[in-house]
Amino acid sequence: MVSIKLDRVTKRFGKIIAVNNVSLEIAHKEFMALLGPSGSGKSTILYLIAGIYKPTSGRIFFGDKDVTEIPPKERNVGLVFQNWALYPHMKVYDNIAFPLRLKKVPEDYIRKKVVEVTKMLHIDHLLDRYPYQLSGGQQQRVAIARALVKEPLVLLLDEPLSNLDALLRIYVRAELKKLQKKLGITTIYVTHDQAEALAMADRIAVINEGKILQVGDPETVYNRPSCKFVGGFLGSPPMNFIEAGLEYANGDVYMIIDDNKIRVPRQYIEIINKLRPDKVIIGFRPEDTVLVRKERDIINRTCFYGEVYAVEPLGREYIITISINAKLIKAIVPRDQVFISGEKTVVCPLEEKIVLFDVKTEKALELLI
Amino acid sequence: MSLRDVEVRARKTEAIIALAIILATSPIIIGFSLIILSSFSKSMVTNFDPSSFHLTLENWINLLQGKSAAVGGLKENILKYTLNTAVVALGVSLVVTLVGTMSGYAISRMNFRYRKHFLLLILLLHAFPGSVLIVGVYFIYRLMSPIAMGSITTFSFFYVIIARASLEIPMAVWLMKGFFDLIPWEVEWAALIDGASRLTVWRKVMLPLVKPGIAAILLFGFLAGWQDLIYVRTFLAEKTLATFIEYNLGTLEFAEMPLVAAAATLYLLPTIIFFITSQQLLLKVSLAGLKR
Repeated sequence: MVSIKLDRVTKRFGKIIAVNNVSLEIAHKEFMALLGPSGSGKSTILYLIAGIYKPTSGRIFFGDKDVTEIPPKERNVGLVFQNWALYPHMKVYDNIAFPLRLKKVPEDYIRKKVVEVTKMLHIDHLLDRYPYQLSGGQQQRVAIARALVKEPLVLLLDEPLSNLDALLRIYVRAELKKLQKKLGITTIYVTHDQAEALAMADRIAVINEGKILQVGDPETVYNRPSCKFVGGFLGSPPMNFIEAGLEYANGDVYMIIDDNKIRVPRQYIEIINKLRPDKVIIGFRPEDTVLVRKERDIINRTCFYGEVYAVEPLGREYIITISINAKLIKAIVPRDQVFISGEKTVVCPLEEKIVLFDVKTEKALELLI
Repeated sequence: MSLRDVEVRARKTEAIIALAIILATSPIIIGFSLIILSSFSKSMVTNFDPSSFHLTLENWINLLQGKSAAVGGLKENILKYTLNTAVVALGVSLVVTLVGTMSGYAISRMNFRYRKHFLLLILLLHAFPGSVLIVGVYFIYRLMSPIAMGSITTFSFFYVIIARASLEIPMAVWLMKGFFDLIPWEVEWAALIDGASRLTVWRKVMLPLVKPGIAAILLFGFLAGWQDLIYVRTFLAEKTLATFIEYNLGTLEFAEMPLVAAAATLYLLPTIIFFITSQQLLLKVSLAGLKR
């Protein structure tokens, strides 16, 4: 088992740049999620690591060893595909034994290994079936068993859960995480589902248009997004964004949202005074938003007025959509707090949770200093 | 009107369709039945006249012993003709399958310049009937044929096989391309990552998955070679069953027709056997785009 390092890796397909100058390090035994929308190049990065694609430029290392030129069969990686890619003409046993048979190890050893790995994944009763006789969840486990049976250095998972139904997905999510920790195998997990990435990974790399936007543990990526895209991609519902003008008056700074004039969050005062922008994008998460009815209930200095636009009961909580001069934002409120459409309300994002972004580059202001 | 599922037709409609199909195919079925019947008769069974049927095995015995026409008394070696036919048929079948499978794979997997145009060109080639091309094919034959007369027979076999196969190859390539298209890239990649070489992937994963396609083009190739008359007649230095029958029909006044009927029946046999035994397979072929 090894660490993985991508050093300024670029992959072009004709004129399209699928992966653009990506550098990334994945530690030994780490569970790294590559998160991004479809077409962002995350699967391409995975296939580059597996050796299916050769990088146009840049190097890939497993530990200290440069594997850039090494063909996939000599890299000793296990890969689980989105569609699982089982061999339809082979029984489950032969599917899982296939990698070992290619290594020409004795048949009793193969049998021992196959039984061992299928027992671990609870599919040892399915060995005589063909893939088409299995359910989606079972096929997925066969695919994982096939990837694990040769004891690979690295486990690569390409959206393995996206073909399972929603309930099973949540169940398998926990199981996969546990398995990874138990085996202590360096794992890269590609997904477009932010909930999956947050739930499973040690660290998340958010990718868009072939570039890595932010790498960090789930906590950081969720709470301190480095740019507007990351904030808008993670979370359900995602982060709210409102554009605001800035007013500088006798040493104080105010943010102007239409008729509302609010204070700049404390953590940004110094930054703003240094950068002196005339506009910013205010970002805050729906769950970090408090709604109050009356002005006297206002909890902090960053509140503004709005009108309730729609109410969505979700059982555990309510999602309230609020219109601020025709711009919509969302807030999550406890279910005992009742709102009706058309009602006037005061929106109070928690001051310390607010993130300000630059209008032009859409990067968080603190990164621009 | 009773309720029914979309796919289920009314009984009455179904009966009418069945009747129409029987009527449409009856001339062919009757024709073939008369030939088979005549091969067991002393004289030809014609005009739906059962009185002209006199059971005998003489035709078949004569045929297999190599007696052709009672009048001409020429010794004709039918077994050798059958063998010639089989050599041509198997040769065509083999060439079509080899070329079709490999180029089908290449066209399905490789992305090269003008790939689309190339595919359309192949289809265009298939649209030309073989008889239209025969002048050109004969020209090449003359250019290539060896000067030594001893080797002309061998050469003509090779030439007929290659020429006839090239007529079948466009269809085979398209069919195999369709089969390979159905196999996702990921299955191939999975095998590469599992530690297989390109050749092993091809042999252990790809080929088993396109088996029905290979069986189909093997069969189509064989039947094409077996049935061919015009190429064999033009280029082959020896006779096959087809040219033998054609030759006898050319000398209608002297030909022993029941004997020719027996030869024709022998000639029909593989086609009939293959179509009956491979019905399932051929159905699968037509569904290849929808189902695996």
